[in-house]
Amino acid sequence: MSFPDSKRYYIDRRLAERIAATGCTSFQSYFAILRSDVEREIEHLVNAFTVNETYFYREEHQLRCLTSSLLDSVLRDKGEGAPIRIWSIPCSTGEEPYSIAIWLMENWGQVDRHNIEIVGSDIDTRALQAATDGVYDQRALMRLSRHVIERYFRPVARDRYRIDAGLIESIQFTRANLIDARDMASYREFDVIFCRNVLIYFDDASRRMAAENLYDCLRPGGYICLGHSETMSRISPLFGVCRFPDAIVYQRLESEHDER
Amino acid sequence: MTKGELAEPSPARILVVDDSSLVRIYYRGALQRAGFEVEQAINGIEAMEKVLAQSFDLLIVDVNMPRMDGLSFVRALRRAAVEVATIPVLMITTEAGEQDVDDARAAGVNFYLVKPVSEADLIRHVALLTGATA
Repeated sequence: MSFPDSKRYYIDRRLAERIAATGCTSFQSYFAILRSDVEREIEHLVNAFTVNETYFYREEHQLRCLTSSLLDSVLRDKGEGAPIRIWSIPCSTGEEPYSIAIWLMENWGQVDRHNIEIVGSDIDTRALQAATDGVYDQRALMRLSRHVIERYFRPVARDRYRIDAGLIESIQFTRANLIDARDMASYREFDVIFCRNVLIYFDDASRRMAAENLYDCLRPGGYICLGHSETMSRISPLFGVCRFPDAIVYQRLESEHDER
Repeated sequence: MTKGELAEPSPARILVVDDSSLVRIYYRGALQRAGFEVEQAINGIEAMEKVLAQSFDLLIVDVNMPRMDGLSFVRALRRAAVEVATIPVLMITTEAGEQDVDDARAAGVNFYLVKPVSEADLIRHVALLTGATA
């Protein structure tokens, strides 16, 4: 992760919170704890720095693109019975992978014909815990119709909703670091990857590393959806640009990589 | 309800057997909205355990599943104790060939639907097979 000077205040504040939380009275003592990773402090610090603000059906046009264009293309070179694999990384507190599952059930007439595997990964273990708890406030549901909320959520408290237990089971949640090649080596053969609004936080070198890792996680011809302000073109030549009616997405190209 | 009719019968209980969790949620949602009670199983073995432990009015069964597939399950069911051997089975699968349908009938499947199945079609067939007026 890299942060510009303008984020200095934010960094100071999160760091101060962790120093206070560990009971340290100086940065030196906190740094010692961090270096020896006492009580998994590295993980706590990473968790403090990751941003977990999202909502269901965010950038809905990409979900529409998934069912109107991407899946048709994916299925063309897939044998009958082979699973369709979709990855949401980073998945934060689960809104994105759950949105994909709900969108498919609501909008894809083929949903019962295929074995669909959805994996949600994040570096932040706290976010993953929240994802498997599946409880959301009203704000996270603001883009969902009443009909969808009634189908897949139950109110548990004032303005709090729990997502359907079957949906929680249907998503495989795992911890993964986008720029750690060893971490990423266990994720392969994905048909579509949603990797939105995370590359903007990386410096150029990390961004390139993430792009190469993601390339290896995709099947040949597989697609990657980035956030609306992000583009792969300036990061890596490994991907081709596909302009579909609903969204611009990137596709794993073959030749250059094989010569790499 | 007019005078003289019996109290409304309890809703039909249906077991959905499919290894895909999204498919189970999709069918379950449709069936529950139509007023049916739904249980789920992820393969033939779990289905057999549930069938022997609880009572069902209809089993909806996929063909391709790990451990025990749909056809093996239905064959085993038809040879099982008399209370469960006669439960109607609706098979829903992607296999649409004539041979597939013949195999299913020979195994003891009562009705065969080819995926994708719309919510309306699912409910219509389930209502027919359970005698419900959903």
